[in-house]
Amino acid sequence: MRLELGKINIKDVQFGSETKVENGVLYVNKEELITLISEDENLKSVDVELAKPGESVRIMPVKDVIEPRVKVEGPGGIFPGVLSKVDTVGTGRTNVLKGAAVVTTGKIVGFQEGIIDMSGPGADYTPFSKLNNVVLVCEPKDGLKQHEHEAAVRLAGLKAAKYLGEAAKNVEPDEVKTYESLSLLESVNKYPNLPKVAYVLMLQSQGLLHDTYVYGVDAKQIVPSIMYPTELMDGAIISGNCVSACDKNTTYHHLNNPIVEDLFEKHGKELNFVGVIITNENVYLADKQRSSNWSAKLAEYLGVDGVIISQEGFGNPDTDLIMNCTKIEKKGIKTVIVTDEYAGRDGASQSLADADPLANAVVTAGNANEIIKLPAMDKVIGHVEPANTIAGGFDGSLNEDGTIEVELQAITGATNELGFSKLTAKGY
Amino acid sequence: MKKFVITNNPLVKEKLSEYIEINYFDITYLDILKKVRDKVHKGYKLLTHPLSGSLKPNETPYKSIIIGHNNDKLDMESLMIIESSIQTAEKFIKDKNTPNWNEKILKDFQVIDISLIEQLVKEL
Repeated sequence: MRLELGKINIKDVQFGSETKVENGVLYVNKEELITLISEDENLKSVDVELAKPGESVRIMPVKDVIEPRVKVEGPGGIFPGVLSKVDTVGTGRTNVLKGAAVVTTGKIVGFQEGIIDMSGPGADYTPFSKLNNVVLVCEPKDGLKQHEHEAAVRLAGLKAAKYLGEAAKNVEPDEVKTYESLSLLESVNKYPNLPKVAYVLMLQSQGLLHDTYVYGVDAKQIVPSIMYPTELMDGAIISGNCVSACDKNTTYHHLNNPIVEDLFEKHGKELNFVGVIITNENVYLADKQRSSNWSAKLAEYLGVDGVIISQEGFGNPDTDLIMNCTKIEKKGIKTVIVTDEYAGRDGASQSLADADPLANAVVTAGNANEIIKLPAMDKVIGHVEPANTIAGGFDGSLNEDGTIEVELQAITGATNELGFSKLTAKGY
Repeated sequence: MKKFVITNNPLVKEKLSEYIEINYFDITYLDILKKVRDKVHKGYKLLTHPLSGSLKPNETPYKSIIIGHNNDKLDMESLMIIESSIQTAEKFIKDKNTPNWNEKILKDFQVIDISLIEQLVKEL
């Protein structure tokens, strides 16, 4: 499977009379976009705002971040099984509006989280402060239940990203990058002397505001399976996970998975990246046993020498992570796990809810309990009220002067467990 | 295996009683975990993970855990999981206690908590 990603660098976003890309500027026809998103009868009103790097703007509560993409050549369309037919994606050419994103906000539940500051100290902790963001502010119709509200906001973001992505269809990319995965046998024959490595991608799959979809299927209902890495780049996996802002994988993360990117970078040179094993993180312990058995079985069947395992979210996924790690290690396959930490505000406590001596190679994305003080911003997009009721905040965390004192866990992507951030710790 | 839910979530009691036996207690999140630990020592095993959901133990006040009778035998895996879950919860609560949420937010937490086990309970 071979995919060309045509990257169109976006350096600014503006409202205009026509949605188009010209000289690196994304112009958005606001009315047209609002009309498209307002088709959903569960939404009472929709507004679109722009947020650019360096502005004194706070976006909250953030539900999802999505990169606009469009299929230019090859089967299927973006977000298969959700917005496009369920064709297998990941081949041909896909164009990307690099440097732009759709951000969804919505007060689905009273307690909330997910802050993106476009400037100030908070901006350093979220990769999305560096993007030209098209922000959707969605208000539900009266009495809409939380489940339907979440679905409406999720679909609104995907639709907006697809709509904006289509503006990239006939634009000449600034850069074209090619990613190719051969079949397992071909790959092993081509690189007989390189260690074979697979990536075990754990998907959050527990319930309301905790879900992920694979080709439109709720990940709770999958058994572990094998995917080509380029399928991710066409939106085969999308996020419905709105809880634990710092370490949830947004759709943007799935599209731009840095572990996939880095493995491709070393592919054919230092290692042979043979594919992605996707698995879930269910609440039922028998599901955890089954899924970790299957991920170990698939790793063994692929005959890999090593795997990288990433988890998503807080608490019980630590158990899935350790089950995956230990069962794969016991097959004689080396593992590296990627996680973040809840080590207490002083950083002195046990970081994970589960552990094992076999988990002896760990990459951490930082301590989510660390406290940060965020200055007031001139403008807040979304809902400011949840500031007091935000994960990692506490009573009075929204001060009268507009400053917020919170744990890093309130900031979208701050300790992302794919490593899509700057935080880490090293031990020797 | 006899299965039942230990919960402090009134919505679970109200909505799921027709599917499974509910043991409802008006106690804290941490005390629910401790109650489950007592049960594990008495020969019950965990069927769902005590730290279900990504909501932090000092964020949501509600917790519902499904356990099953294990023929009075101690299940070591359950014991390990519940002990480390209690340790994790205590770590959060030590830094900051669960806020006094208003009624509307409490309802939202109840809805999230039930969503983590609802489908499962109906399939068991």
